[in-house]
Amino acid sequence: MRQYLPRAVAKEVRGGKALFLLAVAGVALGVASVLSIQLLDASALGAFSGTVKAVSGDADLSVLPWAGALDEALLDEVLAVPGVAAAAPVFRADVAVDGRPGVTLELAGVDLVSPRKGPRLLDAGVLEAALGTPGWVAVSSAWAAEQGWRAGDRIGVSLGSRRATLVIGAIVELERVAPLASRRLAIMDLAQAQGLLGGRGRLHEIAVRATPGVSPDALAERLAARLGGRGRVATAAQRTVEAEGLLGAFRLNLTALSLVSLLVGGFLVYASVRASVARRREELGVLRAVGATRAQVVGLVLGEAAVLGALGTAAGIPLGWLAARANVAAVSGTVRNLYLLEGIEGIALTPGLALLGVVTGIGGAVAGALWPAVDAGRTDPRALLASISLEERVGAGAARLLAAGLAVLAASAAIAAATARRWAPAGFVLAVGVLVAVPLAAPAALRVLTRLPRPRRLGVREGARRLGTRLSAAAPAAGALAVAVAMLVGVTVMVGSFRTTVVRWLDATLRSDVYVSTPSWRRARSEATLGPEVIAALRALPGATVAVMRQHAGFGAGRRILVSGVDAALPAAGRRVALVGGGDGAAAMAALRRGAVLVSEPLARKAGLDAGSTLALRARDGEVTLPIAGVYRDYGTEGGAVLLDVATYARLYGPGLPSNASVDLPRGADPEAAVRALRAALPGAPLLIRSNRTLRGEVLAIFEQTFAITRLLEAMGLLIAAAGVTLALLVLARERRGELALYRALGATRGQLFRVFLGRGLAVGAAGLVLGAAGGWGLALILVKAVNPAFFGWTLEVAVPWATLAGEAAAILAAAAAASLYPAVAASATPAQELSRDAL
Amino acid sequence: MPPVLAFRDVARSYRTAGGELPVLRGISGEVPAGRAVAITGRSGSGKSTLLHLAAGIDAPDSGEVLLLGRSLGRLSDRDRTLARREGIGLVFQFFHLLPHLTAEENVLVPALVAGDPPGPARARARSLLARVGLGGRGGDPVQKLSGGEMQRVALCRALLRRPTLLLADEPTGNLDEASGQVVMELLLEVAREEGSALVYVTHSRELAAAADEVWTLHAGRLEAARSGGAAPVAG
Repeated sequence: MRQYLPRAVAKEVRGGKALFLLAVAGVALGVASVLSIQLLDASALGAFSGTVKAVSGDADLSVLPWAGALDEALLDEVLAVPGVAAAAPVFRADVAVDGRPGVTLELAGVDLVSPRKGPRLLDAGVLEAALGTPGWVAVSSAWAAEQGWRAGDRIGVSLGSRRATLVIGAIVELERVAPLASRRLAIMDLAQAQGLLGGRGRLHEIAVRATPGVSPDALAERLAARLGGRGRVATAAQRTVEAEGLLGAFRLNLTALSLVSLLVGGFLVYASVRASVARRREELGVLRAVGATRAQVVGLVLGEAAVLGALGTAAGIPLGWLAARANVAAVSGTVRNLYLLEGIEGIALTPGLALLGVVTGIGGAVAGALWPAVDAGRTDPRALLASISLEERVGAGAARLLAAGLAVLAASAAIAAATARRWAPAGFVLAVGVLVAVPLAAPAALRVLTRLPRPRRLGVREGARRLGTRLSAAAPAAGALAVAVAMLVGVTVMVGSFRTTVVRWLDATLRSDVYVSTPSWRRARSEATLGPEVIAALRALPGATVAVMRQHAGFGAGRRILVSGVDAALPAAGRRVALVGGGDGAAAMAALRRGAVLVSEPLARKAGLDAGSTLALRARDGEVTLPIAGVYRDYGTEGGAVLLDVATYARLYGPGLPSNASVDLPRGADPEAAVRALRAALPGAPLLIRSNRTLRGEVLAIFEQTFAITRLLEAMGLLIAAAGVTLALLVLARERRGELALYRALGATRGQLFRVFLGRGLAVGAAGLVLGAAGGWGLALILVKAVNPAFFGWTLEVAVPWATLAGEAAAILAAAAAASLYPAVAASATPAQELSRDAL
Repeated sequence: MPPVLAFRDVARSYRTAGGELPVLRGISGEVPAGRAVAITGRSGSGKSTLLHLAAGIDAPDSGEVLLLGRSLGRLSDRDRTLARREGIGLVFQFFHLLPHLTAEENVLVPALVAGDPPGPARARARSLLARVGLGGRGGDPVQKLSGGEMQRVALCRALLRRPTLLLADEPTGNLDEASGQVVMELLLEVAREEGSALVYVTHSRELAAAADEVWTLHAGRLEAARSGGAAPVAG
């Protein structure tokens, strides 16, 4: 049988190139979907850990601030702890490059003189220049090449409204040290970095190396005991786990979406193998008759599927790599802006990921072929050799499959309902139930088509009507399309709901006329502050009311959160927050002035907090417990955020400058004119001065960017499904050549046969659309009502983007029609002479 | 009035691995309206090919096939298809009924293809089914019919649109003797009643004898054309 397999595969390919290629394409796209997401995922985490490695070397532990920065004096204390062999201080700042919007440098100020374990970043020869040249900085060769920088170039940078000039002192091959490290990473002398960027006496990390023989865990305990609440101790692995946790929900959702594409690809393999088995019943019957065992027949069919899967994988891996590369910018933007982690600078296909692609492709193909293979194996030779009506069997099974689908749906709903409160993935269980039920309902949906009124003439409607009697080929295609449509509709409604919710949230909370921050604020937060001259210029605007905000990434309720201090005493401050449950904003602000805190909805959900409970917040001098006055809606950060009054903020974190400000103008004043006036008053200042309208536009642009990768996955799913429609119709055109020849013999024109197949394609499209819309509506409710609250902590209002959905429906039908063109042409070319004795 | 069907020096060969294989060589002959012609000959003598040429589903390499005086070879594919649709009824050895349709639905297929008004077509189908003894069986799935019954359904399908020419390719070849006899009798009777010319291929001398004329093919040539005498069909 092993010798027979290559011949069988070769014969299959020769006999149906288009069918084989379509199935290979289905596998390739499925592999590409899964692999592209995993590549981006691994690269996002690799960027984080790679940057940690590049900055901290092979440190065993890191001492990190709970909030803001560490006091430099801690370095001596750390060095004094027994078991510490070396401690390297690090000052980090994300600075914006002047005159290049969006271009930043992730500056790391390190002690260039102290010995460093691990690969050397800088050659010994440049040390003197690094220490002696003001603003000397080493940048990565990749970033220098992209920005057109050469050694000796001077570049202006800003941190908040503070400016500095850096000199490109060295261009280093960072990839050599840590291949996935951020290309934006720049190394300079610690003291210079602190001095230039206003951080004297402040550190962001102390990288600690343990004395040989001392366990890092034991040393971590000793260090934590010594530091008390002044710093936290983490291993590099723990930091990567933290980053994984931050990205967890984002990664999980994308992985789930990519798996749907793989599922759709699996349908294609199923349809292709089923058609192949049906076409070769006689061959399989003869093999059984001459002594092949059932297992050998199953093995032969699965072996062919594995070859198909291998070819699909070979195409899918480079395709996945290209898809990931094309989406680096969008996903990197989300990781940088929403999760404040290092952006993805490149993707690397590791052997592990390549293996994942192979397992996905070949495993998916074999799984798709399993049922037809087992079915062929268990059929006895006599039945294989006899002509049977497969349609009859499938037709009779339509009701049973529908019942099975409904049972799966009911069971998944029961499991989800029983576990929803204590198990976050409960919503996914129900979503899987929907995705299983939708294709199982496809045969029954197609059977309904047979009830269409009989047309007078052979054409589109007759093609659609008769599809109900062609279930074995058409049902998998309709099922696959329905799954892809369900995903499309579900995600479209979810994104539409999310967008509407965010717009309403912006309407409710973004009430000022002008907003001022700095190019480096988004990532540098508390380090990127507005100078007093900026606040003075804002206050100088006629009739302006200025509100300032201080902000940093801190720790509360045992997790990394965004801590913001706002002026709760300002008039109408209560209108700037939208409380969950519609509570009184003014009362909440009054409570803030009394020292209470407002927690964001994601934080409340994830940490189990509510109004009336308390929040454990890491402050400058240790942990404090604050009463929670309420829970507010926040769609800005998934990790969680808290709002304090500025006075409480100053008490807990010390005095400091604001990181951003907003201006309320008198009624009737023109915000754009105020923006122009401020720019004129602060010429050359590295500031982002935006009107309400501009800021809203930017927020929504970031929102759209976050979902860019989702749209790619949707498109891939639909592309596979369209290939499925073509495949199904080609199968029909091949299997039904006799019938087509009969029609031709009875006087049907080529145009009529073309229209019959167009009708079939449209019918598959319509069935997939109707079933997918129903399933998609269910998925949308699950995503909006269960998955988003459980994983991201956001409450979304259901808002249906009808116009978008209508456009998508038209596109799906057009795609189905386009997918049927080639089979329709092939079918219409069937000559009447094809009538052979066994053709019908 | 031109003959319903005429062959003018028709030749047809097929390309095979061993080179050109001539199947028909210079066939000429006419089928007048209302006449029944039986084509006989050994296997491979070109009988079915001649029938396919008559139906316009195959084209000669040289010579002409004329349907009611119109050369099929000069028509476009579409016009040839329409000529077949309007003027020819086909009966096949293996019936070629669509398995997912009922008997009556199978009979109605040509009306569907042509876009005929459904009411009159259905009435005609029922009348034909009754005529061939399947009056109450129109709603039966064709898979439940016997071979003889299936061929009678196929005969009704061929006659539905009142063709001027009825072509039958070994219509009894897949039937037992008794059923074959019944079908052949019906074929001849109904063709006469409907006024259709009939050309049928058969291996059986007895069945050929029932035709008005018998054409015998040998090695691709029309060896003899003689009057059949229209004898009653005998087993």
